Amino acid sequence: MSSVSGIEGSIGETKPDGPVAEKRGRRGQDPLLPRFSRSPLLPEAGAGGAPLTAVIAVISSLACLALAAALVIASAADAWTTELRSSLTVQVKGVDAAEIAQRVEAAQAILSNAPGVIDFEVLSSKEAGKLLEPWLGKGNADSLNVPALIELKLSEEGRKNIAALSRQLESVAPGLSLDDHGGWNDRLASAARSGQALTFAIFALIMGAASAISIFAARAGLSANAEVVSLLHLVGATDGFIADQVQRRFTIIGLRGSIIGLAAALFMLSLFAMATRARGADGFLLPGLTIGPGLALPLLAVPIAICLVTAVAARQTVLQTLRDTY
Amino acid sequence: MIVSFEQVGLAYEAGVESLKDVNFTLEEGEFRFLTGPSGAGKTSFLKLIYLALKPTRGKMTLFGEDVTNAARESLPPLRRRIGVVFQEFRLLDHLTAFENVALPMKVAGVNQQQYREDVRELLNWVGLGSRLDALPQTLSGGEKQRVALARALVSKPDLILADEPTGNVDPQMGEKIMKLFVELNKLGAAVIVATHDLQLVEALGKKTMRLEGGRLHDEPMPARKRGRAR
Repeated sequence: MSSVSGIEGSIGETKPDGPVAEKRGRRGQDPLLPRFSRSPLLPEAGAGGAPLTAVIAVISSLACLALAAALVIASAADAWTTELRSSLTVQVKGVDAAEIAQRVEAAQAILSNAPGVIDFEVLSSKEAGKLLEPWLGKGNADSLNVPALIELKLSEEGRKNIAALSRQLESVAPGLSLDDHGGWNDRLASAARSGQALTFAIFALIMGAASAISIFAARAGLSANAEVVSLLHLVGATDGFIADQVQRRFTIIGLRGSIIGLAAALFMLSLFAMATRARGADGFLLPGLTIGPGLALPLLAVPIAICLVTAVAARQTVLQTLRDTY
Repeated sequence: MIVSFEQVGLAYEAGVESLKDVNFTLEEGEFRFLTGPSGAGKTSFLKLIYLALKPTRGKMTLFGEDVTNAARESLPPLRRRIGVVFQEFRLLDHLTAFENVALPMKVAGVNQQQYREDVRELLNWVGLGSRLDALPQTLSGGEKQRVALARALVSKPDLILADEPTGNVDPQMGEKIMKLFVELNKLGAAVIVATHDLQLVEALGKKTMRLEGGRLHDEPMPARKRGRAR
């Protein structure tokens, strides 16, 4: 020996190299390289391990569900408002049924040639009256001259020309009323915005919880590994080096936990979607709840976000704690 | 100059100093033994030098840099120039013998390819070539001591500090370890060895300091005896 120390001889008691040399020969490669690369400098127990993985999995799952709720509400609100925005209801009034019918006919002629009108459906005075029968009794609505209703489907161009269309219809059917569902639309949009804000707030709170847990776990990890951290310092480790070790550890734990959480959330959402479809509610209450790329892709961002939050929180905690040492 | 202390004091509790008015210099290539009764402050003295503790008063320089009020960021490079053999080994239980020895190199950011052979060679040299993958809890006290020794030497430090390095090995191994320090000193490293083993101290005939009641005294140079440590 030794090129390392420059000193001849050995202080060892056993013959060096034998078993290692044999091992190397058998495997055809140095067994030390992968062995060392695998070992984290901070032991598993202190930096979190299984309990922290489980907590992160639960948090990730809740975050995914909150985000899914936000996406579904957005999708549903969009579907509802689009539906309402593209339709228009016209009430055609008159002194008697014959006048109402005549005005409806004239209105139909205008609508057939009006640009932007995709489709329309007429509900005559008689048919509209029938809708009131549950409340007024059979035949009692006939004398009321219930207005006829025309339900229009408009294109985007048609929506822009509602005023002109209204004027044209007014010329053949004076006293008609036109309902563009604006009130409903505004209320739905407002409710959807509130729902989205609430789910995003829940999502942010969950991320905050992930951050708080990481800070707590990083402190506990440092405390449990005080001897390791002290030795690392004494052999010349910088705060950044130690923070790197902790960050790497928390990234792995965060990734592992959040992927488990994502899988659990996707499973729960699939069950919910199946249950909704089985009850025949699909397309009515939650039209957006299908586990497709539109939902799955944004949810994939949750593990990345949780990894970032846990890793950054742990790193900053470690750096802050180490600053107070010598 | 490797180390210098000027009127250094160290107090763990306010008012009670475990080291008092210590004046000391260690030049390049010097070898010193540090003796004294248990509790005299030998470990505290070494801890000040390897920057585990900060003096509560006085001035201390290390490798020519004033470290008394140095910024934390400036300490790691200085610590990397020191190899420490701790009294209680301080091996990391979750790392193998190889990994423990390689730790200073990994911390310094050296590529594994570069230090792998050195670590293996050092472990061979301390007789643990067949136990590279052994965890510390499976090693005997003497084996742990040798792993700790290899870890202290792997980065070829400018200053070697050893706290009772022969406390857990048999006399024969103790002699070998002490001789090793002398050889490393001849190669240029400054060395301070804290020990109770006065026989070894006398046998090697090196400059000796004595700590007693927190105060440091130079001992007269011992007449080198022929005997155990030849």
